[in-house]
Amino acid sequence: MSKTEKLKEGLENLEILIIDDNEQITKMLTTFLELKEHKCTIANDGKEGLSIIKENRHDVILLDLAMPEFDGYSVIKDLEESNELKDHKIIVFTASTITQDELDELVKRGVTSYILKPIDIDILHSKLIEIANS
Amino acid sequence: MSQMNITNSMTVTETVEEGLFQSENPIHELNRMLVRYDLTPNQAKVYLFLSKIGVKTASEISKALKIPRTETYHLLSTLQQKGIIFSVFGKPTKFNAVGLEESLEILVNNEKNRINELDAGKSTLIKLWNIIPKYGEDEEETQDNKFQSLQGRNSILVKLEQMIKESKENILVLGTEADFKRFYFTEFTELLNKTKSELRILTDHTPDTPHIFESVSPKKVKKIEDKNREDFCFIIKDDSEVIFFISNNKVKDMLAVWTDSQAFVTTLRSLFSLMWKKSHHINETDAESLLGSEITYEHRLREIEQEKMILSYLQENFKILETGGKKN
Repeated sequence: MSKTEKLKEGLENLEILIIDDNEQITKMLTTFLELKEHKCTIANDGKEGLSIIKENRHDVILLDLAMPEFDGYSVIKDLEESNELKDHKIIVFTASTITQDELDELVKRGVTSYILKPIDIDILHSKLIEIANS
Repeated sequence: MSQMNITNSMTVTETVEEGLFQSENPIHELNRMLVRYDLTPNQAKVYLFLSKIGVKTASEISKALKIPRTETYHLLSTLQQKGIIFSVFGKPTKFNAVGLEESLEILVNNEKNRINELDAGKSTLIKLWNIIPKYGEDEEETQDNKFQSLQGRNSILVKLEQMIKESKENILVLGTEADFKRFYFTEFTELLNKTKSELRILTDHTPDTPHIFESVSPKKVKKIEDKNREDFCFIIKDDSEVIFFISNNKVKDMLAVWTDSQAFVTTLRSLFSLMWKKSHHINETDAESLLGSEITYEHRLREIEQEKMILSYLQENFKILETGGKKN
């Protein structure tokens, strides 16, 4: 079975980076994704997340927007300025009250997709597979 | 009678000349301002005297300004070299001043030329420096904390500009409008605007008046609440260097200390973070501030809902595993 086929079936192990200041979410999400046999890396703030992005490649990056100090927007801005934004599959994963226009603008800038919290965990998983496969 | 008129007229002229530099005359302010254009106070005084009074001999200038005659000659010679006064041939030699606007242009150009010469001389200096062999052993770079005392506006400004230019991560600015208005008409705010580092400014500000940071995006500026205001003024670069002001804005001579002491930087960084959290953005009204807290509340609710969803999935999953285990 090819990697693409495995991905389609949700069998391919993905390397996922989760950047979120909510430790409860990152821990539980990691447990869930590891149950699905994916490999997760956690960063609890934007700066840490950015340095991990620059050091390693991940199949998908889940990025929270609202974080203290260095937030998700700053991560996007930094990657944009170094022309690296489009090199990564970044999914904005946020609970912020953000308008559709603002979300579209992020996608236009190079963010791969967005998922608004709360979302059904199975749907989140399918979306991760779908985006990694895209 | 005619002799009396001449005497009276001379007395009036002399009084005008001598009164020119009395304390309440606005010419003092001009004198102070001209000093910034690389003139000494007495050079500025002589220049302004000639500008306002007109053609005079050195002796008349010396008498009117109460400057010793030898010093007056020296001042006149320097001002001539600078090109802002000129002599009128005759016996005795008289002097007159170039118009103020033209003189300012000349003085500014002189300074520009001096800077260009210094700039051009840099490479020669470095070449010469590299020719001279090194006699001492290379010492290991010291890890000690460095403290540098900065006295006067210019030395502080040079260090500030260097910090902002070199910054790669963040710049945190804390201080009142009065603290920073001393940097009006300098590159300070322009550099802050251009920086690619994350910029945060905490300052006092009233929306009705123009302020020094008005060109900076309002998202980067927060207003120090009155209850949190202290006489602090400092600027932190990349969590590694800080300049903090020792003198407050009421003191004429500025004094500041630059340091890379991690203990100092961390302490001031923590103070800044604490005050930043307690403060609101400058254009944020009370209603918006309230709305902000509602957004945070809504945001938190969504996060909790997400946590619940993952948790119930995990509980369900582990229950299945547990049941499966018992069955086995």
